[in-house]
Amino acid sequence: MLNVFLAFLKIGFLGFGGGYAMLSLIFAESARFGLSVQQFADLTALDGLIPGPIAINSATYIGQMYGGFWTGVAATLAVSVPSMIFVPLYMHFETRIKNNWLLSAILNGIKPAAVGLILAVALSLLLTTVFGINDIFSLAQAHVDWVSIVVLVLVLGLDLKWHTNPVLLMLLAGVIGAVAFYL
Amino acid sequence: MRKNWLLFKIYLLAGTLTFSGGMAMLPTIERVVVNKYHLMSRADLYEYSTLSQTLPGVIALTNACFIGKKVNGRSGMIFAGLGAVLPAFVLMSLATTAYQLVPKEGIALSILGAIRAASAAFLFSAAYSLARYNLSDKLSVLLALGCFLLTVLSVASAPTLIIGAAVVGITSTFVKRQRDQKKG
Repeated sequence: MLNVFLAFLKIGFLGFGGGYAMLSLIFAESARFGLSVQQFADLTALDGLIPGPIAINSATYIGQMYGGFWTGVAATLAVSVPSMIFVPLYMHFETRIKNNWLLSAILNGIKPAAVGLILAVALSLLLTTVFGINDIFSLAQAHVDWVSIVVLVLVLGLDLKWHTNPVLLMLLAGVIGAVAFYL
Repeated sequence: MRKNWLLFKIYLLAGTLTFSGGMAMLPTIERVVVNKYHLMSRADLYEYSTLSQTLPGVIALTNACFIGKKVNGRSGMIFAGLGAVLPAFVLMSLATTAYQLVPKEGIALSILGAIRAASAAFLFSAAYSLARYNLSDKLSVLLALGCFLLTVLSVASAPTLIIGAAVVGITSTFVKRQRDQKKG
């Protein structure tokens, strides 16, 4: 439980720039807690279905999967710690930090980095779901799952073009999966 | 104490009704905190919201903490923060329990497989919209590409790259400031 707490503490303090930046950190740590890429993909789906910030949802899921309910509580608390520390600190030193260029300079670096990091996570999920391999080095063993390709292209297209409701898109994916089972 | 419960209730409701985190909550919060209960000015709310996005941590929670602390000090911060976290935690804990009960075979696995492919699609879409807003110059494109390649080739881990990117951001901003100062 302590390991989970410390991991999510680290994720919280390095978690600049929002949920998706944090999600790549969470992905990097999740393997350490016995989470497969498939289970991480399921987490991403649940993130979309359940209300609330991605980081809180993910901490709850990973903690609970790893060590039960209370480990989920510990992970959620840990990822909440930075807010509880920085807010009082900021309000105490308000005038001195107000014109601080450092914070925005850090974000100038992290925000573009987050694009690359989340793209790498997306590729990881693509390799696992569509090609059945765990990393780019095992491309030789890849075997294509056509149902997954159809779902991926369809969902990506609908999401980018018409911003279709993600819950609806997941339902659509589920229906395709069910139909494919009988084909 | 009445203010604390009010803060708790406001964030509990907003947290239950908003699907993603970050600033998705802001319109609801603005309507209740500023228009209905007059707990703070709109300008203050916007300032804290902008700030929440620059500090490390969960943005929606940081924002709740700022508003809570401003309205009712440290206890206000705790109550607002709890209200913001609780729905996400409780609902996700229930969902995880349900998920663990789903058999991972037969038709359920086939459905799950398709949903996993949809998850991959959502992440590609997220990367695309983040790229549109955040890749504005050569350096940012280089940073994104570098982080992508180093992760895919498992050269460096995400935490290392985040710290590295922060250093690059500080250095480039520092250099720019120096140049601007020399100019005038």
